[in-house]
Amino acid sequence: MPEFPASERSLRLGVAGPVGTGKSSLIALICRALADEIRIGVITNDIYTDEDARLLRSAGVLDPDRIRAIETGACPHTAIRDDVTANLQAVERLENDYYPLDLVLVESGGDNLTATFSPALVDAQIFVLDVAGGGDVARKGGPGIARADLLVVNKTDLADYVGVDVEQMVSDATEAREGEPVLALSRTDEASVARLREWLLALLASHRAGAHEPQDPGPMAPHFHADEEGGYVHTHDDEGEEHSHQHVRV
Amino acid sequence: MTVTSTDLPTRRNASATLAMLLADSRLPAGAHVSSNGLEAGLRHGLAAHEVADYMRTRMTTVVRVEAGAAVIARHLADVRPSADGAADTEQGSGDPDRDSFRPERNGIAPERDTVVPDRLGVLETEWAARTPSAALREIAVALGAGLARIGQRIWPQTAAVLRPTPLPRPIVLGTIAACAGIGAADLVRLVAYDDAQTVAAAVLKLEPTDPIRVTGWVLDACAAMEDSVSELSRLTRPEALPASGAPLIEDWAEVQSVLPRRLFRA
Repeated sequence: MPEFPASERSLRLGVAGPVGTGKSSLIALICRALADEIRIGVITNDIYTDEDARLLRSAGVLDPDRIRAIETGACPHTAIRDDVTANLQAVERLENDYYPLDLVLVESGGDNLTATFSPALVDAQIFVLDVAGGGDVARKGGPGIARADLLVVNKTDLADYVGVDVEQMVSDATEAREGEPVLALSRTDEASVARLREWLLALLASHRAGAHEPQDPGPMAPHFHADEEGGYVHTHDDEGEEHSHQHVRV
Repeated sequence: MTVTSTDLPTRRNASATLAMLLADSRLPAGAHVSSNGLEAGLRHGLAAHEVADYMRTRMTTVVRVEAGAAVIARHLADVRPSADGAADTEQGSGDPDRDSFRPERNGIAPERDTVVPDRLGVLETEWAARTPSAALREIAVALGAGLARIGQRIWPQTAAVLRPTPLPRPIVLGTIAACAGIGAADLVRLVAYDDAQTVAAAVLKLEPTDPIRVTGWVLDACAAMEDSVSELSRLTRPEALPASGAPLIEDWAEVQSVLPRRLFRA
């Protein structure tokens, strides 16, 4: 495989989030919005089947051969984080087969709130929640919610049916993310799709310019411990070791 | 970065350390997708209490083919200039354990780039002829590719052989063994242990039972293999690769490859 500097190969963008929040639909949406302008490939990670790949192929948004499925051997979390071998191989093969690609989207197997991509696999990642999962999920935090490059609050068109205040959910999320971008999205809301498109093209431009630095959301969210002097924020870089983490006085 | 003979890693590890590394499921080689056909087996009549027998049966059948291929690949990939300057395959002392630590000093024999891939190609043909299930061959190449990624980076001497073509896992293992310095006997034990432990990890997902009991099964299966270690570790010629496949295991491998709602790819 040829090895290019990151900025000369495609932008590898992970899409993570709990089951059913609309990761595959988001990818289909991105393909529909951008497939005429940029060259896109997709890798899906499914636990039991190649359901997601088939759904995307049948959506007709991309040449079916540009959508490849990875089987994660009952370990969807592992395949995007600790052992990314199968995914990296698939990404590189796709990049090779359709050189040059601008964007490779890697969809994680639907997992829980703790699953995030390793920067060894993707350059950036989107974390997807949906209003139907509950308005409080954004407040609950987690590495993906807090520190993915973009948090999408999906299916805003369903908010009235499930009694969720979208504005409140977005504001909670923005607070959890300390101002990092949050996008309220519905595939029926064209303005929101345009904002998604704009975010992605800006990221791609930054990647091409060599200005984008992949960030690891981390295995666990930084959290606050109160004490007499006001408390401290800390992160667990290595959950196996006691007190190897950084404490920062606030 | 270009790797030249002068900046080959000076790191040296014992054969046992290397074998432990390569047999460790925490090695990022993408191997967790395989159950060694156990999932299909369990759906097709294998009882959970027979899994120990399944591990042992593999030792006398498919593992002989895999371990034999690894040992022969190790032999064929072990090309270094001999005293008179002509490259030859080192024969060793004949004692697989004593030959276990012989990493290259400096310099890749130029023959590695040309002769070795040809020889390994012959071995792959012999291995394929003894591995009639296309599904088994396919997963072996997929797992070999994962291991080859590690091999090329950690032991750059292997890159000339491992980079150009995807090779099945035992041949990749044998190539790494030749370059990194894993003895033939350790290599056989590594293949055997890895095979049993793959089944063990899968059974704990598929039909959870007392994990310590399952650990005992792994050791029983490896012990059953021990008598064959010496014989297998002396193999050198591709034609001599054991033809000991098991039709039922091959059948399960095929079934597994199209199993609906499976947890494991193989």
